Amino acid sequence: MVPLEQLHLSHVLQAVSALESIVLRSFGPEGGQVLFTRDTGQVMVSRSGKRILTALHLDHPLARMVVRCVWKHSTITGDGSKTFVLLLASLLRIIHATATKDPHMFQPHNSTEASEAATARHLADRLLEFALTELDELIVLNVLPHGFRVSLENFTAETHDLSCQTLLVSFFRTRLGYAYCDFFRNLFCELLSHWKVKDDRPSFSIQFLNNSFLALHTQVSGVPVSCSRLIEGQVIHRDFATPCPQVRKQPLKAVVFNGYLQPKLLTTGDVLELRCGDKVTEDRGIVHFSSWTEKSVESIIATLQSFGVSVLLCALKQSSAVLAAATQAGMCLVECVSEEEISLFTQLSGVTPISDCRRIHPEHIATLTFCKPLLLGAHRYVHLDFHDCEERLKVKPCSLVICAPSEGQADQHACAFQDAFRMLLTALEPVRKTQTALEETIPSKKCTSLHADNISNGTACRVHLHQKCVTETGCVISAGGTFEFLLHHALHQYGHSCSVSVNTSAVVPVSQLLAKALLSVPRQIYSRNLKHFLQAQTRVVALIPKQPHALSANFIHTEGPLGDGKLSLCSCKNGNMSLKLLDLGLESVSCKYQLVLAVLQCLTNLLRINMVLQTHAVLHTESHDSLNAHSESSEGEDED
Amino acid sequence: MLFFTCCRPVDEEDFEWEPPTEAEMKVIQARRERQDKISKLMGDYLLKGYKMLGDCCEACGTILLQDRQQKNYCVSCQELDSDIDKDNPALNPQAALSQVRERQLAAQVPAAAPELNGGPTSSQAGVSVPQPRPEHCEGAAAGGRALLPPPVVASPPPTASTTTLAPIRPPVCPQNSTLRPVLEEAEEAVLTKLRWATAQLQSSASLEASIQLCSLISSCANSLRNLKELSQ
Repeated sequence: MVPLEQLHLSHVLQAVSALESIVLRSFGPEGGQVLFTRDTGQVMVSRSGKRILTALHLDHPLARMVVRCVWKHSTITGDGSKTFVLLLASLLRIIHATATKDPHMFQPHNSTEASEAATARHLADRLLEFALTELDELIVLNVLPHGFRVSLENFTAETHDLSCQTLLVSFFRTRLGYAYCDFFRNLFCELLSHWKVKDDRPSFSIQFLNNSFLALHTQVSGVPVSCSRLIEGQVIHRDFATPCPQVRKQPLKAVVFNGYLQPKLLTTGDVLELRCGDKVTEDRGIVHFSSWTEKSVESIIATLQSFGVSVLLCALKQSSAVLAAATQAGMCLVECVSEEEISLFTQLSGVTPISDCRRIHPEHIATLTFCKPLLLGAHRYVHLDFHDCEERLKVKPCSLVICAPSEGQADQHACAFQDAFRMLLTALEPVRKTQTALEETIPSKKCTSLHADNISNGTACRVHLHQKCVTETGCVISAGGTFEFLLHHALHQYGHSCSVSVNTSAVVPVSQLLAKALLSVPRQIYSRNLKHFLQAQTRVVALIPKQPHALSANFIHTEGPLGDGKLSLCSCKNGNMSLKLLDLGLESVSCKYQLVLAVLQCLTNLLRINMVLQTHAVLHTESHDSLNAHSESSEGEDED
Repeated sequence: MLFFTCCRPVDEEDFEWEPPTEAEMKVIQARRERQDKISKLMGDYLLKGYKMLGDCCEACGTILLQDRQQKNYCVSCQELDSDIDKDNPALNPQAALSQVRERQLAAQVPAAAPELNGGPTSSQAGVSVPQPRPEHCEGAAAGGRALLPPPVVASPPPTASTTTLAPIRPPVCPQNSTLRPVLEEAEEAVLTKLRWATAQLQSSASLEASIQLCSLISSCANSLRNLKELSQ
């Protein structure tokens, strides 16, 4: 085995092309699904690019790198993993063609391959620089005017905001198919409306839901999908360790323990020295010590009884003495509660967990409306609700129950839900990174009323401004390649104007490369029927006005402020678009922009690799769960 | 961040670039198709559970795959190259050239055929469709060749480089009286074609075209000989 391997452009292209050919089969509205089978006989069907790519057995370092980039991108934006690979492959192909056509652009190298690689690297760097500096402005000027703004201000299940509903439906349709997209859209909106903090930013609640989604949902298998619903309060995914007494009418009191109630002082290998006064006697042995610890447990339980506590939630497994004492005192005990659930519990109830069992104070005691066992599917869980949560936190906490015939499908639905949160969060991000001076000088009175643990005050102030500034958050555009066509056209124009003004005909304008690569996405969407591709392109290009200046003037001098703080972007063909968006669906402009940036960054990283060092030690685990479990695999050693 | 433009000045080299010839285009196209085929096959195997290794095949440089039984597998060596490497225009430039030639011929034959067939009936016409046999490609050339059945009566032995598809010889021997005008017409048609081919040969600049015209001339000569034998 050769320990050192020179990396050629064709190797990179081959690895990425193989991934592309896999992803293409499930791409687009007519794409198929991949059937996963395990040796245990479990079967799952999925179209999610992230799931397909992470399930492949890949030992090739470049392919693993690409899959990791896709996974990271998907974790942030929730969508677009297949488009990522597609765009990456077409960019690589175009750069490869450009580099092989004219490899001696720069200092002559020893070999053709080295000069090709250097040219490719340089092109990739230039592309990334272009994207970071000029692309957002191009998008704002040329793509956004053809879109809509999604507003989540008055978010209820019955909201008539068509664009937001359509955005969610099209997202769920790409993930879960036509059958359940409407059902899940309604469920999602209901969840969001319950958790929306009144008079506050919607993205705060979405962020909160995204962070605590693990604790907020329960997957149930073996039940039809239509049984998915919301239930009030929180579900703890453990069963009672002690027999639960009959439900009492008055509000219950609960405490959370982070550690052990009975001190675990004896572990294997420890030596305990027992003293009685100054002498070490042999009369008092381990039995007396154990009885002393048991007495301390009883005193803790007595303290809790004096406070009226009847529910104990423990993070760790308790000893049998503790369980016996709790049963005797008539208290419900739940052990091994996960960290996320404890964190959610403490946030919603406003208490702190007890770390030192000898000091129990009133601020450790939470009040619950009820705490009872709940049977979901084949498992029994603990179901509880908080007293006066609505007055204190202004939310109605509820938990999501996701039902599906099989475990894999339930997992898929849960992932789709979580990715929907991420997609909405990304959609609410502004496209333009640079701030205009106008935005920074105008203060807003509303900033002071926001919650302290909100997203950064800067962003909040920015969105509340409704003066003559351009806020481009929450912009959506019709799906089916509209973004790509518009951006392709804009980049083309930009490239022409650049070459005319600068007059460097020998320099390859990178905007043209990007423009060419972008077209590969709609081409694959309409790959079954070329006529549709041409029709779509004609339709979108017809929307572009002949005089670009007229449009931008319209855009910047928008009259404001509007009454409820909403700034609606002018859309030229409002009537036509409303018809189209019902068939094609919507996608977020900000997500697409993030995708293009991420692809270019991955491309730059890929082309910067010169050599691959083969090591003999196993540096990473074979299981695919390593990616899902957020563990950092040490594959960096494989690359130079 | 550094941003530097092209260092190489524009000189005469730039103006000497010519568009790739048809043969080169064919090679480029075939190479691209081959790469696409390799990618698709690799994707198929990956979805079947094969592992993509970090090594490349020594022979062709394709990325190796490994199956569940730890056996390494090269997609291009073991699947694509087994039966068509000699015919593959991407790998064999001769094959590419001959494929181009066939396409050209296929374009020429419909132009030549009506004139040749315009004469007497096909059963006795001295038609021989010129089909120069490519040096190396048997299988690939089969598609482009017009299918004519082999001669029933022994025809003059073909030359070493060309196979002439001799005209169909009906086993029935026609009467002499009805034969002569037909033969004369056939001779005339062949001579016309011979004259045309000679004129084309004089003005032709391409090597391929010249070879084809020479073969046309030789087959015309053969047909004339056959016709003379028939008339005697």
